[in-house]
Amino acid sequence: MKIKLTLSSIAIISFVAILVFVAAVVALIDSRVTNKLEGVLWTVPAKVYSRTLDLAEGSRINRDNLLKELDMLSYSEKKEPSRPGEFLYRNNKLRIFLRGYEEQKSGLFDVFLDESSVSRITNQLGLPEDVVRLEPIAIGGVYPAHMEDRVLLNWPQVPEILIDTILAVEDQDFFNHNGISVRSISRAFFANIKAAEIAQGGSTITQQLAKNLFFSSEQTIKRKAMEAVAALLIEFHYSKEEILLAYINDVFIAQSGKRAVHGFGMGAQHFFGTSIMNLETDEVALLVGMLKGPSLYNPRRNPKNAKQRRDLVLNVLKRERIINQEMLEIYRDRPLKVVSPSFRSETKYPAFHDLVRLELRENFADSDLRTKGLSIQTNIDPVFQESLESSIIKTKEELIKKYGERLKDLEGAAIAVDITSGEIKAVVGSTAPSKYGFNRSINAIRPIGSLVKPFIYLTALNQYVDYNLTTILDDSELELISGGMIWKPNNFDKKFHGQVPLHKALWQSYNIASARLGIDLGYDSVQSIFTKLGIEKQIPRFPSLFIGSFEMSPYEAVQAYQTIAADGFYTPLRSIREIRDPKGNIKLTYPYNIEQRIRPEPVELLKFAMKQTFIRGTARGYSKQKIESWQAGGKTGTSDDQRDSWFIGFAGETLVLVWLGFDDNRPTPLTGRTGALEVWKNFIEIVDPPPIQKNSLPRINMVWTDLKDGKLSGEKCKNSILVPFVVGTEPTTIPAVRNKCSSNKKKNESNIMDKLKKVFEEGQD
Amino acid sequence: MILVRFTIVAVLIATLISCASNQNKDFVSSKEISVNEFSSSVGKLITNLNFLEDEILKINAKNPSVQRIVAGSDKYIKEGKLVQANSELERALRISKQESAVYLRLSLLRFNQGLVEESKSFASRGLLIRDVSSWERLLLNVFLKFQL
Repeated sequence: MKIKLTLSSIAIISFVAILVFVAAVVALIDSRVTNKLEGVLWTVPAKVYSRTLDLAEGSRINRDNLLKELDMLSYSEKKEPSRPGEFLYRNNKLRIFLRGYEEQKSGLFDVFLDESSVSRITNQLGLPEDVVRLEPIAIGGVYPAHMEDRVLLNWPQVPEILIDTILAVEDQDFFNHNGISVRSISRAFFANIKAAEIAQGGSTITQQLAKNLFFSSEQTIKRKAMEAVAALLIEFHYSKEEILLAYINDVFIAQSGKRAVHGFGMGAQHFFGTSIMNLETDEVALLVGMLKGPSLYNPRRNPKNAKQRRDLVLNVLKRERIINQEMLEIYRDRPLKVVSPSFRSETKYPAFHDLVRLELRENFADSDLRTKGLSIQTNIDPVFQESLESSIIKTKEELIKKYGERLKDLEGAAIAVDITSGEIKAVVGSTAPSKYGFNRSINAIRPIGSLVKPFIYLTALNQYVDYNLTTILDDSELELISGGMIWKPNNFDKKFHGQVPLHKALWQSYNIASARLGIDLGYDSVQSIFTKLGIEKQIPRFPSLFIGSFEMSPYEAVQAYQTIAADGFYTPLRSIREIRDPKGNIKLTYPYNIEQRIRPEPVELLKFAMKQTFIRGTARGYSKQKIESWQAGGKTGTSDDQRDSWFIGFAGETLVLVWLGFDDNRPTPLTGRTGALEVWKNFIEIVDPPPIQKNSLPRINMVWTDLKDGKLSGEKCKNSILVPFVVGTEPTTIPAVRNKCSSNKKKNESNIMDKLKKVFEEGQD
Repeated sequence: MILVRFTIVAVLIATLISCASNQNKDFVSSKEISVNEFSSSVGKLITNLNFLEDEILKINAKNPSVQRIVAGSDKYIKEGKLVQANSELERALRISKQESAVYLRLSLLRFNQGLVEESKSFASRGLLIRDVSSWERLLLNVFLKFQL
């Protein structure tokens, strides 16, 4: 059969082919438009925040730290705070205009501070206020591959001034056109012919939204045509309100490193550190002005251009009668007030993010974290974190000055936790803490040296009928066969100290006395205490265990010490507080769990010995008053050949562990005292923990004993020390030489009081 | 002279004693609870969980700011919103760790969540706080008596 190709049939076929082609293109564009508008646009990365800070009457706070936090939150000091984000600190009074966060409304408050706590809070009317809350600091996010970061806004969150400004500047005809404005196109067309190049865009808001869907900014006729089709399709599928909201959430605002900041919600956070609802007209004008050239008008990089552009936008607002002349002048006179980006980087605190990711992985799929817009509130205390980072950096510099360039590769890790709640407040995984890389706080498994000793001594003190703080230990020469080899431990000072009370053997960190104690106690009872302290691995059954061959990561070690610092109450450490969905509903909380693993009395005895580390042991140097007010205690640790330098110490409500050493495990010139303790001291000096109250333990008696023989003594006797005992385990014999200086009278009186106390106060069973 | 001094001192002492004894009498008469009534209250604490909850929610925190947060938590406890109640109690704890009112509620909350052992641990932790009143001590001890 012959097909006759007439002109008309060719025309029909060509027309059909073109129609099919056009239909295919339109269908393709349509699927892209709907995909983006209903999919990718609404994928929001999870945001990670620091802890919020509640200020309440009686809350313990360090004034300097509070001011540092305000600085991190980009609050600026003003003589008369009158706008959100301003404060004045004078004469122990903080006048602050809060930005507002969740249920905390924005407003002016006076916070009165005394030495270590908040004494009173009043609102603008001078009426007392119980609690005010500072917003958290955004410390990062979990970004999808395209690295688009946004905060989705819903209509109630979009301020009217933003809508007015967008429409005035970008598309005055928005509610009248069908996606394409012929008026705008013809205006741009003539302007471009005049300039003999494409100099002006005639895009409507719908077209701009369509343009973003094609991920390219080149201005060709083909692309413009596709944009126009897409714009018409968007208008066909969606209402004007939906289109405007999508535009508000999708528009590209700025590039921050690898992260692309999209939408006005994130733009307000990125440049002003607050919600879009808190922005004033000049700030909104700046953000809207930036759309024309996000890089050219970036207020951080090109403040001059940005200000000119903002003022131009403000003029448009005046012209459109959105603001009056008086307001125009006020706004134009204002400088750009963008916040410092330094505390808003997504690469801040990498070691902490590692912990957050580890905890998240147990409950969330990676895709949920990258797309569901979850808000992750963590326990990180930004001031503690900054202080811990600066302490490890500063100490390394000091050590290099002292010991020379051989320490230039020195590495380290440190963790600070809240003792009672187990909240992780700061983590450092390297001596270059801001760099991503090997996180030693969780991944460096190292011999803990004498940090093991408190575990051994606690095993003894937990058997309080047989052991107390003045039980005499033998620190004379020891030699035994272990693993077919002769094992002969030595003390750090290479001396033997003979008969010593148990507490002294700990704060002087005598190796041989400790080894003998461990051997006497037996591996099983030591293992049982290790398990109670949350150490999951089995102990090696070699006597070198008792003086520090045991290996742990800093994270594991600080978990074990949390139970000690918290009086025997084990609490799993946690970096996350709670996770909310974009609507603010709680998705998951990481609650405070505790389990009493050891009675408080033996732990109290151990903590007394650890306090002596500060008073007269390897960490001496603080005033007695300071040590008492903090209820401080600690332990230094040095492994064989000084390959590892450790220090663990609690002060106030904070427990801090520090490790220093080389990654390749070569010896350092450092001990626990000369290395890790220095980091601890530098950190504690900055954060200066507020004092805490001592526990009430009715079953503990304080008795004067002798530092050398551990027997009864008196306050007036030489070398005496007041030592706690579990009631009924006190020493009873007073050597004749101390009969004179020790007074029984006082002791008897206190016993009667104790007995009376016991009758009236029922303690724990 | 000595006699005068003696008389003045004697009169003063007599006045003081009478005042003191009067006060004592008033105090006892207004607050007196019979032994039977007291022991039945204690019995009810262990057998009637609603009574125990009511008594715990009557305990106020010493710090007014903490009390405000605790009151918010109480509202959640009554509504059965235990997760929110817990968040508020942890918030209170961050302000002060010396409030038995908070530990009592944490014990109650964990008990209501079926976490009996943890409720005991919170009670034991509360007992370490200084200045816990005898009644608070008793309430905390109630949790230590519960068996799984």
